[in-house]
Amino acid sequence: MTMKTDRHQGLDDLFAEARATPRPPSQALMARVLADAMEVQPKGVSAIPLRRPMPRPGMWQRLAAVFGGAGALAGMGTAAAAGLLIGFVQPGDLSALGDAVLGTPLETVELIPSVDTLLDGN
Amino acid sequence: MDMPRDMQADHQASETDAALLARYAAGDPAAARALTARLVPRAVGYAARLLGDGAEAEDVTQEAMLRLWRAAPGWRDGEAQVATWLYRVVTNLCTDRLRLRKRRPASALDDAPEVADGDRGAVAGMIEADRMTALQAALDALPDRQRQAVVLRHIEGFTNPEIAAVMDIGVEAVESLTARAKRALTALLAGRREELGYDDEN
Repeated sequence: MTMKTDRHQGLDDLFAEARATPRPPSQALMARVLADAMEVQPKGVSAIPLRRPMPRPGMWQRLAAVFGGAGALAGMGTAAAAGLLIGFVQPGDLSALGDAVLGTPLETVELIPSVDTLLDGN
Repeated sequence: MDMPRDMQADHQASETDAALLARYAAGDPAAARALTARLVPRAVGYAARLLGDGAEAEDVTQEAMLRLWRAAPGWRDGEAQVATWLYRVVTNLCTDRLRLRKRRPASALDDAPEVADGDRGAVAGMIEADRMTALQAALDALPDRQRQAVVLRHIEGFTNPEIAAVMDIGVEAVESLTARAKRALTALLAGRREELGYDDEN
């Protein structure tokens, strides 16, 4: 029995020696671990991911929304360009038709009445 | 033999691992240094005992720490002790490595460092180194689970409930593994008592 106790005592001594003589990690390992830490560390002040703010709609999107979509806006753009062209070119027949309908010579045309109020609304 | 001490972490001693991990997750680089200084020496020592190989132990430690860094943002305080969690990861990584090693021709068991016997002035140091080599060789000869349990209990200084948490088993199983490991180690080392310098002590 005493023999067995002695043997365990020897083992406990070995454990005590092992505890007292830890193997220090190499500097290279410490550097590798720290480099990993810096690489995967969450950046910024908060670790909680913020919800991405909805992008603010641009001017064209807001304008299109006013007229009921981009298709409608494109149609209006085409009409406006055509009106501008007609105004510049002043086809003789059209002037005559305008005069006949309105009764007076047509000098200016307001294509989009009071456009400022539409833009101010948003 | 010099006893390496970790002076860097002393001033951080009052802060828990979990608090440091939270500061790391919040972007504090000093917390990463403090955690590295505190955890890596323990983890690499433990891995070296399980694997009997310093270089492999360093690789395992780096991998385990990387997993800790990645887990930091989602870490919930109180869910698990950081050290217990890390030891569990190291244990599992070591088990995987040992399993791989068994599939290949074994060569590492006898790779323990040689002690030069020409220097008669350092007999005590030689005996000490030899004892540690003998202990490691005996640990290497144990089954994996017994080795883990006995190293955690008697070298890392964990309590049985802590070991149970690391190894994911019950406390009774820990006690059984530790007792069997000690018996096996005693038997393995019995034949080497004289050469390990125990003759003079009794």
